[in-house]
Amino acid sequence: MKPDPNDPAWAWAPFQPDAARPWDLRLAAHLYRRAAFGGTWPELQRALSEGPQATIDRLVHPTPGAADFNRLYDDYENAAATSAGYGSQAWWLRRMIESPQPLQEQVTLFWHNHFGISNIHVKDNASLCRHIHVLRQHGMGSVEALLDAVLAQPAVWICLGARDNGRRSLSESSVRILMEQYTLGPGHSSDSDVREGARALTGWIISQGELRFVPGEYDAAPKKILGQEGDFDRKALVRILTTHPATGHWLAQKLVRWFISDTAKPSDSLLAPLAKQLTGDGSTAKGVEMLLRSNLFFSAEAYRQKVRSPVELALGIIRPLEGRTGTVRLAADLARLGQELYEPPTIQGWAGGLAWINSLTTLGRAKLAEALLAESGAYEGKLDPAAVAKRHGRATNDGGRQFLVDLYLQGDLGAETIGALAAGPSATGSVDTRAADPRQIAARLASLPEFQLA
Amino acid sequence: MHITRRDFFKETAGATSMLAFGSSVPAFLARSAAAMEAGQASREPVLVVIQLSGGNDGLNTVVPYQDDAYHRSRPTLRIGAEQVLKLDSSLGLHPAMPAFRKLYQEGRLSIIQGVGYPRSSRDHDAAMEDWHTGVLREGVPPGARSGWLGRAIDAACDPGKTDLRGVFVGEIKAPFSVHTERVVVPSIKSLEEWLPTGAAWSDSTRAHDSGPSSATSSGSPSLLAGVRSATANARLIQPRLIAASQAIHSQNAAAYPRFPLTENLATVAQLIRADLGIRIYFVELGGGGIGGFDTHANQAANHGALLRELAESTAAFVDDLNHDRLLDSVLVMTFSEFGRTLTESGRRGTNHGAAAPMFMIGGRVKSGLWGAHPSLTDLEEDAPKFHTDFRRVYATVLERWLNLKSEKVLAPGFAPLDGVLV
Repeated sequence: MKPDPNDPAWAWAPFQPDAARPWDLRLAAHLYRRAAFGGTWPELQRALSEGPQATIDRLVHPTPGAADFNRLYDDYENAAATSAGYGSQAWWLRRMIESPQPLQEQVTLFWHNHFGISNIHVKDNASLCRHIHVLRQHGMGSVEALLDAVLAQPAVWICLGARDNGRRSLSESSVRILMEQYTLGPGHSSDSDVREGARALTGWIISQGELRFVPGEYDAAPKKILGQEGDFDRKALVRILTTHPATGHWLAQKLVRWFISDTAKPSDSLLAPLAKQLTGDGSTAKGVEMLLRSNLFFSAEAYRQKVRSPVELALGIIRPLEGRTGTVRLAADLARLGQELYEPPTIQGWAGGLAWINSLTTLGRAKLAEALLAESGAYEGKLDPAAVAKRHGRATNDGGRQFLVDLYLQGDLGAETIGALAAGPSATGSVDTRAADPRQIAARLASLPEFQLA
Repeated sequence: MHITRRDFFKETAGATSMLAFGSSVPAFLARSAAAMEAGQASREPVLVVIQLSGGNDGLNTVVPYQDDAYHRSRPTLRIGAEQVLKLDSSLGLHPAMPAFRKLYQEGRLSIIQGVGYPRSSRDHDAAMEDWHTGVLREGVPPGARSGWLGRAIDAACDPGKTDLRGVFVGEIKAPFSVHTERVVVPSIKSLEEWLPTGAAWSDSTRAHDSGPSSATSSGSPSLLAGVRSATANARLIQPRLIAASQAIHSQNAAAYPRFPLTENLATVAQLIRADLGIRIYFVELGGGGIGGFDTHANQAANHGALLRELAESTAAFVDDLNHDRLLDSVLVMTFSEFGRTLTESGRRGTNHGAAAPMFMIGGRVKSGLWGAHPSLTDLEEDAPKFHTDFRRVYATVLERWLNLKSEKVLAPGFAPLDGVLV
C-alpha cells in the first residue's frame, strides 16, 4: 500500500516500521510524548527493543497495580479538595507524573478539555475533584456511560447555567451546548431538537448541592428528537446523542486534534473509521488505541505537530528525568502560563496550539524550565540530570549533553545547535563554565523551540 | 518606478521581519520605520485597569461634603468641609488622596460619577461577574462566558499568530475580566520571577532560531515557525525587560512608594516602556476576594489606607510614564463591583450599595467631574442610584481609546461618553 495520510486504509493500518520509517528513538519518544507525557530512558530503551505495537499494548492496557494506585490518589485528591488552593490539582499533576498508566491521565485531560467544566463557576474544589474522577473512571469506556455519569453531576449543570431543569424552567442554552459542544458538534441539531431535548432533561433540580430527580417536574409527554419519537428522559437522550453518527465524528475530530496534530484538517472519509469506534458499542479506549497504532500517528502529519500545553511542557521536562518535584508550586506556575487545571477558560476548553505561545509565555516557559532544573529554589533541585545520566551509564565528559539531547529531543537538533549548548565564550567574551552543567544544558534544551512541540 | 524613502523602509522592514520574526514582530521594531519617518514615537494606546475589590465606598471617595443627608447618615464616617480635598463647592476627595487632587489640578484625572447598571447585584461574586463579563448574567450560560477585556484582547489578536495583547500583573489569580476564549493572557507577579536569567538562555537559542531542523523537513513547518518567531521575539525583548526590571530597583525605587499596588504598577510601567505591543493591563487592589474595600466595620482607617495606596501608587506610575513622555499613550481606569450604602452601620462601616464613581487618569483625559453626583435623597435601598451604565464607560474606552468596535465586546446600544477623553 502506498503511504498516503489522506487514504483511510493506509492512515489507520497499524504502523509497521520499514526502511523509510525505521523504529528509532525519535518515534519511540514521539509515542511516549503523546501517550505518556514523555518517556524515561529505560522506557524508551524498552520500547526500542520491543517494537511499536508491543509498546502500545503496554501503554493501553492497565497494569495490575493501576487500580490500587488510582484509589490511593483519589483519596489524596479528595482530602486536598476540602480546602482552598491548588492542593488537589497538585495531586493530579503528581498522578500524571507517577501513574503506571499515564495514557489514562492524558485521556482524562482530554475529557476535561472537552467538557470544559470550570471551578471559576462551580466554586467548589470538591465538586471539580469528583468531576475529574468521573472523567477518569469512564474516560476509556463507552461515550454513553461517560456522558450518563457526567450529566449526573451538579458541577456540570452549574456551568451550563441550568441548576433547575423544571417544567417551566427549560434551559435551551444548556441543551444547545450538550448537542453542539459535547456530542453532535455544530450544525446537526435544529431549534426543535434543542427544545424537545430540554423537555427530556426536565425533572433534574440541584438542591442542597445534589442533583435530584423531582418526578413532578418531569415532562413525560412524547418528544421528537433528531428524527426519533418517544417519551424520552435524560438517559434516553444520552443514548440518542451518543449513538448518533455525528457524535462519533465530532469526537474523532477532537481526538485527532489532541493526539495527532494541532493543524490537521482530516477529511470526513479519513475520520469515518475512527468515528465508528467511538459510537454505539465502541469505547474511547478502542479509538485511542486505533489512533496510537496507526500509520497516521507515526507519519510526518503528526510528528512534532502539536504545541505542548503548559502541563505537557512541565511533564515533558519532569517525567524523562524520573523526578519527584513539588507540584503545588507547579500548579500555580502553570496557571500563570495559561493552563489552570480545574479551570479551562470556557466549555470549549483551552484554545491550544499556537495560542499557548507568545513572546512573554515563551520567556515564562523558559523560566519554568530553568526553575525546575535549578539546583535550588522553588523546586528544590529535585530533578538531577547528572544522576539520571550516570544511572543509565551515559555520564560522559560532555556534561551529559548527548544523553540529554537523546532523552529530550532525539534527532531533532542540528549539530550547530548541539554545539552551541556547550557554549564556549558567551556574549561577554568570558567562558561560561556553567554551560557544561547538565542542569543548565537540560534547561536550555527545554526552552528551545523544538521542545515546545510534542 | 519612483520609490519613496518610506516605501523603501516599509518594504525592507516587512521583508526582514517576515524572515526573522514571522508573524509577530515586536512592537518597537515594527514601528521603527514609521517612527523614523515621522520623527517621533507613535505608540498604540494602552489601557491599564485597576480593580478595587470589595465594593469601594464612592461617597467617601468623592465626598458630597455640603450635603445634609450625607452628614446626617454618617455620624462618625462623614468627612467635613475642613478635611475634604475640595474639587468644587460641593464635592471633594477623601483626605488620603492629595495625589489624586494634584492629578486633577494638572488636568490628568477625570471622575465619572453615578456609574452602575440596572437591577445591580449587591452580592460580591455576582456583581463582580457582571463588571467582569460586561454581559448581565441571564444572557449566557456561565461556562460560555468570557471577560470583557478578554474579548477585547481576542479581538486585537490575529488568529493563528503569536500576538501578545493583554497581561495581568499581580499576586492573585487573574480576575475574570481578562478571561479570553482564544489567546493566553500571562499572569505575572514580577519580571524578576518571570524572566530566565539571561545570557545563557538567549545564547543557546540564538544560533538555532533560523537554523534547519529535521522536524521541519518532513511535515508542515507552520507550528515550528510560529514558535521560532515567538522565541526570536522573546530573545529580542528579554534584555529590554531585564534592564527594565533592574531599573525598578535602582533609580526609580525612590520615586515609587512601597505598596503592593505600586509594585504591580511599576511592573506595568516597565512592560509599557519595553514596548511589546501589549494593549491591555489589569491590576488589582484589595486582595481579590472579599475584604479590601468591603468595609462593613471600622471603615475609616482601612478605607483611608486603601485610597492612599491607590492615589499614591497611581500618581507615581503617572510620574514615571510622564518622565519618559509615555503618558499620552496610557489611560488608567478604576472600577469596583459596587458602591456602598449611604447610612453608616452600627459598626462604623457601610454595607453593599450600588452606583459609585470611576476614575480615568492619563495624558489625554479631560479633567473634571463627568455627570452629576447622584442624589442622596432619592435612593434605592439606601444606596445612590446610577445614571450612567458601566458598559457605556467600557464602550468609551473601547471605541475612543483602544480603537476597537465595541460590538466585538459588548452588546450593541452602549453609546460612548462624550467629554471624558480629549
